[in-house]
Amino acid sequence: MFKKVLVANRGEIAVRIIKACQEMEIQTVAIYSDVDKEALHVQLADETISLGDPTPIESYLNIPKIIKIAKDTGADAIHPGYGFLAENPDFANSCNDVGIKFIGPTPKVISLMGDKIAAKTTMEKAKVPVIPGYHGDKQDNDSLVEEGKKIGFPLLVKAAAGGGGKGMRIVHSEKNLKESIESAKRESKSAFGDDTVFLEKYLDKPRHIEFQILADEHGNVIHLFERECSVQRRHQKIIEETPSPVMTPQLRAKMGRAAVAAAKAVGYTNAGTVEFMVDGNLNYYFMEMNTRLQVEHPITEMTTGIDLAKWQLRIASGEELTLKQSSLIQRGHAIECRIYAEDPENGFLPSIGTLEKVQAPTGPNIRDDSGIYTGMKVTPYYDPMLAKIVTYAENREECINKMIWALSHYVVMGVTTNIPFLKTALEHQEFKKGNITTHFIDDHFKDWTIAKDGLPIDAIIALAVYDSMHSKKHEIVRYKEADPHSPWKHVGRWRVGGKGV
Amino acid sequence: MFINYEHNNHVYNVSIERRDKHYFITYDNTEYKVEVEEIKPGQLKINIGDRIIKSVITEGEKEKYVFVDGNVFKVKSVELTGQIKTKKKEDGDLTSPISGKVVSVKVKKGDSVKKGDVLMVIEAMKMEYLIRAPFNGKVEKVDFKEKDQIEIGQNTVEIKKREA
Repeated sequence: MFKKVLVANRGEIAVRIIKACQEMEIQTVAIYSDVDKEALHVQLADETISLGDPTPIESYLNIPKIIKIAKDTGADAIHPGYGFLAENPDFANSCNDVGIKFIGPTPKVISLMGDKIAAKTTMEKAKVPVIPGYHGDKQDNDSLVEEGKKIGFPLLVKAAAGGGGKGMRIVHSEKNLKESIESAKRESKSAFGDDTVFLEKYLDKPRHIEFQILADEHGNVIHLFERECSVQRRHQKIIEETPSPVMTPQLRAKMGRAAVAAAKAVGYTNAGTVEFMVDGNLNYYFMEMNTRLQVEHPITEMTTGIDLAKWQLRIASGEELTLKQSSLIQRGHAIECRIYAEDPENGFLPSIGTLEKVQAPTGPNIRDDSGIYTGMKVTPYYDPMLAKIVTYAENREECINKMIWALSHYVVMGVTTNIPFLKTALEHQEFKKGNITTHFIDDHFKDWTIAKDGLPIDAIIALAVYDSMHSKKHEIVRYKEADPHSPWKHVGRWRVGGKGV
Repeated sequence: MFINYEHNNHVYNVSIERRDKHYFITYDNTEYKVEVEEIKPGQLKINIGDRIIKSVITEGEKEKYVFVDGNVFKVKSVELTGQIKTKKKEDGDLTSPISGKVVSVKVKKGDSVKKGDVLMVIEAMKMEYLIRAPFNGKVEKVDFKEKDQIEIGQNTVEIKKREA
């Protein structure tokens, strides 16, 4: 096992990895930029080295700086976390060059999976289903119509140079195909100066379901079941759960096998995730492979009882997987909500400032993976995710209720957060029924705002009481009178000829 | 003791007094009688009739934050001097939706712009935000240059609407 691991990240994931190392009696090195001097991961690590300038390119993305620190501190491995350099093949290569183990797959695999077209071609060869489509050179209308008919309907005509929905058409039947191709080409030509189009099968009611993989360096590959990650805003997940509400044992076994086949096809090692799109009829298609530990890994840990971060360290140090596919079980239900410093009423734009108070909920089967504390400044330099709250229960309904409770007791003051929005999303009837797709937020919360009834009476009472208790004046009385025994001073508790009430 | 709280441009007039172990709060012509326990600094348990309000309060630099029932409200204690001044949004004012760094300024004073034209690009938290012209017009003033730090709510560019 490693003696010392450098954690090339910040925030909650750095904290998570440092804790795993410490449990395994591995020394840790934290790196930090100027604005993270007092961050939790810095407080926790055994050694801490400054990166200086907080701009990502000068700090957590600066390969030469990080490699130098690893060498100087004598670290024998680097854990990249997620984001930043986690899926950067140059970084993995640089680690190899100086004889420091990169905790993740090989640079070759990272590069291959980073090239979306090459990844798809590799998967097709390994018989993993991919979204049917045509990305070829034959651009005359007749050839495109022929290719379109092969794909089937509904299908999507997409401008190769496209973006923002321009040059995009959903075609439901053959008779509209030709005119849709023509108009998509025209639109693309005028918008982007290029009329090359792609054809792709259009998925109705698409879900995003992914499978967790663990692969050692001795050829053993297992999957740790699925995670349903359909609830997204701006193509970023905000609520994840496992098991998926639409999963059946048959489909799980089939998709799990496909995920393992995908990992084996590329010689994958360490923890990874195979992402699939699943349509309304439960057809699944390979989308991409994430060559890192995912943000949402805790829900898999809750339902399988397996510590993924520790397995990453064991696998990277050359140990063999002792977990067997047949002995893995999925128990109960887990949900993760990502708490962001952002304003759901203002297009989910990030919100920055000082966290005046942070108080996380605690209770049975509530896990808070957080990188925040009272007094911390949320800066514009990095991702605005503050914490991940994870709940676990016997079944989905209880798990949702537990999460709603946990969110209602999560105090984050000083910046606007998405906590009230997360709660509203979980309370939505369609979510409760499990009817979620990647369009869930756009479909149901397009112009969502918090009910603006102003300050509730409970808040007014609490504030007034607080100010009264903390005001300098000791006793505040209604009537200032000379006579200290005046009955009017005790107006609430005194009655002529009667008892106190 | 009289206190005025401001929240979202609305002022709440409250009076409170303490008599023995009770507090009497008057708001909107209603009096509430409560008993209070401060469990931890800033954490209140308030008995009101047969229910309990649990609240967490903390003080920022100028404002207070109050947490009740899963929601956070930001308030200011204010002196009540007539009406609250709320700045009327000028036509053509384009305020920044976010605090961040100006990465590029696409226009200068005197330029004619068309509705939808990008005027300025602001970067914050790894994402870029585009300030676009809301209508056809002429640039009156550009308040920032490249690499400037910009705060939420500050004017980016002022445009005068071109009369149709």
